[in-house]
Amino acid sequence: MIGLVARRVGWALVVIWFVITATFALATAVPADPAKALLGPHADEAAVERVRAHYCLDRGLAAQYGCWVRNVASGDLGESYRSKRPVTEILGDRIWPTAQLALAAILFQLLIGVPLGILAAVRKRRWPDRAATVATLLAQSAPQFFLGTLALYLFAYRFGWFPIGGYGEPGLDRLWHLVLPALTLASVGIAYYARAMRSELSEALAADYVRTARAKGLPERTVVLKHALRNALGPLVTLIGLDLGVLLGGAVVVEAIFAWPGLGREVLQAVLEVDLPLILGTVLVAAIAIAVANLLVDLALLWLDPRLRER
Amino acid sequence: MKVVAAVLALVCACSAPDRAPRWKAGDPAKPRAGGTLRVATSDQVRTLDPVIAYDEISNYVEQALFATLVTYEAAIPGSRAGTGVIPDLAERWELEPDGLTYRFHLRDHLTYADGTPIVAGDFKFSLERALRTPDSPFGPFLVGIVGASDVIEGKATDCAGIVAVSSRELLIRLVRPSPTFLLILTMKFAAPQRAAWVEQAGDQLRRRPLASGPFVVERWDEGTVIVLARNPRYWASPRPYLDRIEMRENLPRDTQFLMFMAGELDAAERLSSPDYVWIIDQPAWQPHLHQRALPQVFGARMNVTKKPFDDRRVRQALNYAHDKSHTVKLLNNAAIPSHGILPPGFPGRDPTLSPYPHDPAKARALLAEAGVAPGTRLTFVTQNDQQGEMLAASLKGDLEDVGLVVDVQLVSFATLSTIVGSINGPAFSLTSWVGDYPDPTNFFDVRFHSRAIADANATNDTRYSNPELDALLDTAQSELDPQKRTAMYQRAERILYEDAPWIFDYHPMTTEVTQPYVMNFELHPIWIRDYTHVWLAEREPR
Repeated sequence: MIGLVARRVGWALVVIWFVITATFALATAVPADPAKALLGPHADEAAVERVRAHYCLDRGLAAQYGCWVRNVASGDLGESYRSKRPVTEILGDRIWPTAQLALAAILFQLLIGVPLGILAAVRKRRWPDRAATVATLLAQSAPQFFLGTLALYLFAYRFGWFPIGGYGEPGLDRLWHLVLPALTLASVGIAYYARAMRSELSEALAADYVRTARAKGLPERTVVLKHALRNALGPLVTLIGLDLGVLLGGAVVVEAIFAWPGLGREVLQAVLEVDLPLILGTVLVAAIAIAVANLLVDLALLWLDPRLRER
Repeated sequence: MKVVAAVLALVCACSAPDRAPRWKAGDPAKPRAGGTLRVATSDQVRTLDPVIAYDEISNYVEQALFATLVTYEAAIPGSRAGTGVIPDLAERWELEPDGLTYRFHLRDHLTYADGTPIVAGDFKFSLERALRTPDSPFGPFLVGIVGASDVIEGKATDCAGIVAVSSRELLIRLVRPSPTFLLILTMKFAAPQRAAWVEQAGDQLRRRPLASGPFVVERWDEGTVIVLARNPRYWASPRPYLDRIEMRENLPRDTQFLMFMAGELDAAERLSSPDYVWIIDQPAWQPHLHQRALPQVFGARMNVTKKPFDDRRVRQALNYAHDKSHTVKLLNNAAIPSHGILPPGFPGRDPTLSPYPHDPAKARALLAEAGVAPGTRLTFVTQNDQQGEMLAASLKGDLEDVGLVVDVQLVSFATLSTIVGSINGPAFSLTSWVGDYPDPTNFFDVRFHSRAIADANATNDTRYSNPELDALLDTAQSELDPQKRTAMYQRAERILYEDAPWIFDYHPMTTEVTQPYVMNFELHPIWIRDYTHVWLAEREPR
């Protein structure tokens, strides 16, 4: 078991290294010059060259990469070209809002998607199933910028039930600000979870062990929730892990619509302005988040399914 | 029945609400002190370090924080919203007979927001700091000062041309006469900072610079909100009238407008198309709409050294082919068609010139005369945003109407601004220019003087070289007689109009809307946002 976990951690580190190296290669391959982006279009050649020298951009790629890796190893992600603010400080500010949004979205996905999927599976081909299918199809098809804008207009502006964007003050106010962006972010996930749950649970309900449980006279509720559901949960746990990683990596559109001060907005700005230290820092954090989320999923699956431990 | 009732309730809820102003101003006759102005921006403040901040949003805040030796006339409704230079921290200045030496006399009892005195040496320190800081974009603005280049190149730490004669007298000596020098001193990098404060603040100067202007930073949750409080020690008391400005950051334009309509904001900026189109037709909102042409120009640049753009007739043909009125329609009339690169209101802009008319027949004739066969393929490189794509599609349609075939290539702004300055960059692309100060040198010399041509990072990215224009610009640059100077730039405009190295397209306008109780709010031609004169009347229900 310990060996298995160690192997998974090892692979996670390799993945993180690969992602960072690939990002570095891609970011430096783009013809945009960070020095030019920093100084603006008015800058002449001499000024651009001075800034390139100041940030070591005039050195070879290998030297720049080596320099960056050394700094990262010592916990220094550098400072944003644009704002001169340490990248660790920017990420420190932005991660928590994004984490809150991601966790709340996962929570909504579970609280709404899973019961919807269970309902659709146990009432298969009846109206609850059909209603759930239509609802999930709509949620999957509607783009988040549309759903978010609509939610903001109706529930915040017209009805005044929620605040019109922003982060709010810590406490209940923050939770209140969180509802609409988290629901919007969760919309696609709710649909996926409901469909995955329906499909997995339908399969489990047709299995021999379920027939046996029913033949033993167990109540339907116990058959579904205790026997079939546990077996149907495996793929869902994998989905949660992947989602958590992706959502932590930044929910650009939702954060922008609801003025949520998360990581997504920073990534977008950094990419547009070729802010290399910030791009690399953000990708590093996203890669770690995804690797850790996957590691947790693997561990959860090992706990859920004892057969995996023997492989 | 219940379902029908629910649907009816939803339909009623979604019917068009009353969106006229909810409030009116009580006794708007005289300025009233106090209150918090709630505004927003769709981007974020990056830094408040005056020698680094060079983006529009940071400049909004810097305008509120920093005073300079000289400044522009204020934009107050009913007054001359101007680009003329007036005293600010300097009560007066003299240009000595040699035309090279400026002598500034500071006002009496000037202090920063922390109560420490502002002295002439602080200006010297700030200007030298801009020269010494390698990644400051402002060093090149000061190369006209004696000894500035030596400081930039690291050969000296003291700029010989800047002398603090006494605590209240500053002397700046130039290499050659410069009619634009005072305009450069209005820029916020020239605001005073105390050396000891800067040293003590270290890398935190970007958050807490020493304020000398009407406001001071009270709180800044970066990326979320910045709160500015009134500086009680501002020299021009009783201004500012506002107690506070609360500026929300990263608030998208649509969300801003909803918050504005719900009364959670006192002003909304750069309305998105649907909101703009709606509000522009509402009589009740008309008195509260504020529009201003920005000191910017947009067009399409052509590399005049590459075929087929090396033929002036082709460049003129493209100007005749492009329908600028369509561009203006696409921008919801929030743009002014251009005949050159100088924005409206700039000195040197020739009012007798009109934009190239839309004349496809003439364009076809000029192309045929230049030997450009129908079906000739051009690649137009533009920015990968909604507006860039929309305007590129319009241009493509216009040029294809006269027989050319246009491929549109989309790249990011950062990539575009890097590749266009390279000798191997695209021959035909979107271009734009934003003025740092209202003077033709800031446009013509940088974009069309042959001195600005380089293998990489060329600001003259059309590679247009005309000895007559070069000579005209060199003479005008040092000409101190405004009338002669204006005539020279008008001649320069006409040369560029004829030679057409750009398809001159439009000057954008910006629109902001305020609640009726926001008084004295006017967009400034240079600063855009200037809250020094704004005050809030009593808010009464309409």
